[in-house]
Amino acid sequence: MSERPTAQELTEAILEFLGGEILPTIDDQRLRFRTLVAMNALSIVYRELERMPPEDDAEQRELARRIRNGDVPPGTLERVKRDVAERLRIASPRYLETY
Amino acid sequence: MIAEMREALESVLGTDVSEPRLLAGGASKEAWAIDAGGEPLLLRRAAAGVIHKHTLSLADEFAVLEAAHEAGVKAPRPIAYIADLDGREAFVMERLEGETIGRRIVRMEGLPSELPVQLADELAKIHAIPRARVPFLQEARLERMIDELDEVGEARPAIELGLWYLREHRPPPRDPVVVHGDYRIGNVVVRADEGLVGVLDWEFAHVDEPVRDLAFALVRAWRFGVPAKRLGGIGDVEPYLERYNELTGLDVRPEELDYWELAGNVGWAIGCLTQMQRHLSGLDRSVELAVLGRLGAEVEYEICHLLEKVAA
Repeated sequence: MSERPTAQELTEAILEFLGGEILPTIDDQRLRFRTLVAMNALSIVYRELERMPPEDDAEQRELARRIRNGDVPPGTLERVKRDVAERLRIASPRYLETY
Repeated sequence: MIAEMREALESVLGTDVSEPRLLAGGASKEAWAIDAGGEPLLLRRAAAGVIHKHTLSLADEFAVLEAAHEAGVKAPRPIAYIADLDGREAFVMERLEGETIGRRIVRMEGLPSELPVQLADELAKIHAIPRARVPFLQEARLERMIDELDEVGEARPAIELGLWYLREHRPPPRDPVVVHGDYRIGNVVVRADEGLVGVLDWEFAHVDEPVRDLAFALVRAWRFGVPAKRLGGIGDVEPYLERYNELTGLDVRPEELDYWELAGNVGWAIGCLTQMQRHLSGLDRSVELAVLGRLGAEVEYEICHLLEKVAA
């Protein structure tokens, strides 16, 4: 399932945050160096993600379009809820335990 | 820049002003704590380069605050609007002592049991503000949510299901009133001794269905990790609804509240996407906004949960 922000867009946001807001506040030389190393590692993840093929979201688009047109056969809610739970297992796994 | 601000504030307020201290908070508006002649004040100032659709300018927000204060709503006392404070618009209001952070409020020791009733009291007063007093406020339509979703352009079947239900089951319309637009724990000041002492964040004020405003505090995301307490993680809905009905004579039924609770969740699920879009488009780069795009799945799950309940 495809979802935005993509993993690559998230790593990009973290890189900007570390470089723009955290790094300038670090005076400790050792910590500064280790932060640069961490940012470099994250850049590797970023470039690796760049080479992965984009996921196909055609199925979700089609489902969304059908519901918009009022085409909601029995079983639709169950299916949609399953898909959302699947996304939550990545985005916020502990949230599911609150139900 | 701080020195210029301080000088300008001293000339507007006509008294000594302490050095402005920037507080943590929203991306769209800056909040500064100042003390003027010994009185604690809060300065709200536009942030650089942020343009929002569907939120009030600081001039209009100040005017709404004045109207609310006049109507006897517990809200910070408005002090002065400043069209140009070091290049941006701003206003000054009273700085209320108390807790505003939702996560802390729901965990406060000795939270007064009358808080739900107090929330109803203030909302009833807000809904009684004459529309003629704030004629610049726009009327909102439920359909605007669809436009906002389409502007982001992401496929979200759960949000579509919520919108579909809202279209199919809309209760008879009620006369629109002046609403706060973001009335919930997190936008009020609470103290352990007195309970509710002030209603904040008026930038989403508009004219709308009163029950939509009433139900927003029930949205699960605003229960701050205490989902069993349906009213904002602090209490039960029944005393809140009962008091609101008593004061307004509106006779809102629980099912109507359920409907608008769902609408509040659909609105916030779309809100997560529009916040994400502000990051992705480059308008306002921030990890916080980016990650909201993913956390919106929590709200979508709640939409499914509420739809299961109404279907049962």
